[in-house]
Amino acid sequence: MIHALLIALLWFGPQALSPEASEHMQAGIAADKQHQFDAAIAEYGKVTELEPSFADGFISLGQAYMEKHDFASAVAPLKHALELDSSSAAAHRLLGYSLLAQGYAAEAIPHFERVQDKTALGIAQIQTGQLPEAVTNLQAALAVHPNDPDLLYYLGRASGLLSKQSIDSLIAAYPDSARAHQAMAENYFVLRQMPEAEKEYREALHLRPDVPEVHLELGEVYAGSFQWAKAEEEFRAQSKVQPGNAEAAYRLGAALLEQGKVHAARAELARADRLLPDMPETLYSLGKAASLDGDATAAEKEWTRLLSIEKESSLAAQAHFGLASLYRKQGKTAAAQREMQEFQRLQGGSAQPQAPGKQNSQP
Amino acid sequence: MQFGWRPGYANRQRKLALLTFLRTLTVVISLLWVAALAPPIFEAERASGLDFVLQNSPTAQKYLIETMPGGVALLDYNHDGLLDIFVVNGGHVSSPMPVAENFERHDPRYWNRLYRQNKGGTFTDVTQQAGLADAGDGNYGMGVAVGDYDNDGFPDLYVTSYGKNVLYHNNGDGTFTDVTAKAAVAGGGWSVSAGFFDYDNDGKLDLFVVRYMDWDTRHSKDCGGNYHTYCPPEEFPATTNLLYHNNGDGTFTDVSQRSGIAAKKGRGLGVAFADYDGDGFSDVFVANDGMQQYLFHNNGNGTFTELGLEAGTALSEDGRRLSGMGVVFQDYDNDGRPDVIVTELPREIYGVYHNDGGGSFSYRSLESGLGVLSSGSSGWGVGLEDFDNDGWKDLFVAQGHVLDNVESIDHSLHYLELPLLAMTHEGRFERVDSGSTTPVAGRGAAFGDLNNDGWQDVVMTYLGGHPQIFLNHGGKAHWLSVTLRGSHSNRDGFGARVQVNGQTRFATSAGSYLSASDKRLHFGLGTAEKAKVEVVWPSGIHQTLNDVPADQFLEIREPEKP
Repeated sequence: MIHALLIALLWFGPQALSPEASEHMQAGIAADKQHQFDAAIAEYGKVTELEPSFADGFISLGQAYMEKHDFASAVAPLKHALELDSSSAAAHRLLGYSLLAQGYAAEAIPHFERVQDKTALGIAQIQTGQLPEAVTNLQAALAVHPNDPDLLYYLGRASGLLSKQSIDSLIAAYPDSARAHQAMAENYFVLRQMPEAEKEYREALHLRPDVPEVHLELGEVYAGSFQWAKAEEEFRAQSKVQPGNAEAAYRLGAALLEQGKVHAARAELARADRLLPDMPETLYSLGKAASLDGDATAAEKEWTRLLSIEKESSLAAQAHFGLASLYRKQGKTAAAQREMQEFQRLQGGSAQPQAPGKQNSQP
Repeated sequence: MQFGWRPGYANRQRKLALLTFLRTLTVVISLLWVAALAPPIFEAERASGLDFVLQNSPTAQKYLIETMPGGVALLDYNHDGLLDIFVVNGGHVSSPMPVAENFERHDPRYWNRLYRQNKGGTFTDVTQQAGLADAGDGNYGMGVAVGDYDNDGFPDLYVTSYGKNVLYHNNGDGTFTDVTAKAAVAGGGWSVSAGFFDYDNDGKLDLFVVRYMDWDTRHSKDCGGNYHTYCPPEEFPATTNLLYHNNGDGTFTDVSQRSGIAAKKGRGLGVAFADYDGDGFSDVFVANDGMQQYLFHNNGNGTFTELGLEAGTALSEDGRRLSGMGVVFQDYDNDGRPDVIVTELPREIYGVYHNDGGGSFSYRSLESGLGVLSSGSSGWGVGLEDFDNDGWKDLFVAQGHVLDNVESIDHSLHYLELPLLAMTHEGRFERVDSGSTTPVAGRGAAFGDLNNDGWQDVVMTYLGGHPQIFLNHGGKAHWLSVTLRGSHSNRDGFGARVQVNGQTRFATSAGSYLSASDKRLHFGLGTAEKAKVEVVWPSGIHQTLNDVPADQFLEIREPEKP
């Protein structure tokens, strides 16, 4: 990121220099363009000797060091440039980058604040542990540069660390609270340590039966360890506490479907669809439940609805496959073939053997 | 006629409904009480004399072969009326394996073994005297197929390996002869399951050999990063299966290319045969690992066309690829058509492909109840047998994960598992106690009536241990065991469709995983004391026997004329 930003900070040209200094300045710029950074450093060094009050000469020298990834050597000329011109945005920014690159985030922050470089400021604040501020600054930067991968990464990291910080504080301050047990359960769930996660969720419910979302999360623990009847029980409990929770209705429907309870699954999935319409997962499962229930018309309707929303996803592929099976059974050969072709296209060819090299992540 | 409210009628209806409800309640309570008190159907035991240990020899190299053996066969090799047991051994694996692979199978620890059953249910190791000792160099054992390829009345053995396969001809005097070279069925590469069937209905058993992948120890690798696990099949190139046509003179011709079988590369592990579309020719289902499953339709002219996608047996309900391992191709819901059940890895659920007729299948894992029973398990050997003789075929699956360190990767999965025993009624599977309390890495499974009591037993292999025998306690229900003796058709009658009191079986010893089952066809009759038996022989001859008394071993000879 730093290197990319350096490119934007090109030197603007010699200003009122002696002919000899100007010559060295031009030679430095030429060397810089050819990535001959040692030569550039030598030329800019002569400029600073010939014109010791010329701030831009020191800035160029610092920048050349940075381009050579010698951040330590860049600091002195950039600091000197700021002594000559404390208002130089370029010097502040480059000095900030040099310091940050060496891990001196706290020293870098005032320089980024001075030039309101939200991106660099946010990154530096992650390192100094100023997480709420980092999140704010990175969100502001992301508003200006949407979908920038580096920004997305740093915002995710800052948010994650902030979340962990809050949870750590919670567990340290109130270790026996329902929320602390819930938080620990979530950690265990992520680590796929299901028995431990179950125990912590149970303790959370014991301490505070009305704590929101715990039944839903506990249900997912059971679903993750294939205990579908227990999962159903928890999703049902969540749906009772929160009848307007579409996810709870969807999960309950999915758990029922896994157990082959097709009628009940359809009812819950339809409820999920009413609560939060047009969710692709719900529509796919609705179609699947209808198909298993022998209701080809409803299955076709739900999968077609899904395909009107999502055309290229894995769920879309599954919907095409479902439609192909459905049409095949109805003797609609051409339609079945068309759907199968779409399925295979979305699968990236076919379900034939794949070329070696693909790592199966699932044990 | 005028319709109106009739209080008397309504009261009668209410009383009837109450009585019906009470009766139902009584029955349900009784059933629950019986179920709660009923002992397991099987007693899991290690039979006396059965001292075989399946040597898979796991190493730090994580050579894939180590986690894949080994097969078991139930056959009456000496015609004494008792089923004998043949077990396939793996071999010694060096870590790392030298370029010239040697699995030390001259060493008796790594031999395959034949155990003759004695009266009283004990077993005697007759490997050496039967001529089956010393499994040779360069082979790591996998599976076994059983069939009377020369129609001499004695079952022959075909043993598959990573390396070369071996055909042992049963000489009829208690000994076998290695006739691989003459028969030209050595194969090569990595063979797994195999089976005898008569694809062209010429009265001679042909041979289908499933091969797993293009792999060898020199090109092995481990996966899973720091976990060091066996690699998934996608890491290695797919390969072709083999089809050998029986020439009738003790030799076979490799027709893999000519028949179209080799046109489809796969990563097969299991194979089973049945005529799914009723055209009179046996079709082939190959359980492939990590890809679509293959259904080779027999075109009746010596060629096959793979129709898995078209028939609806290639993928899951959601269009997902499956890790097919074991397979059974029999009718689980008594509608007369052979269905397919494929065992797989956890989170995939075992595939139940219901044969709807017209060459089309429906995926019914969830509705049948098998999905919820299998979502956390890894299945290998599998069989559909009527273990309680109630007239519905039940399901047994040997289970255990591929990865010996799977718990460290996913705490909800298990390397060692108990087998699954699920009773079936009206096409719905319900788990019951298998009688086993010790989880193992189950692999092969073969099915048959070991003690000739009319109740089906199971022999299961597992990695690193002795074969487990699941001896059926039996009960009061009636049964019928049918042995086919073909004349126009192959002598074993493989491929015949046999119906007994509305139940259907397709004669075969193949199916499961790496294993071969008792060729006798077992039928539970429930309370029926007589049976109507209908046979459609591969020759096309139809035969019907009425009022056949229950509780007997019945040999049916193919008539000379229809």
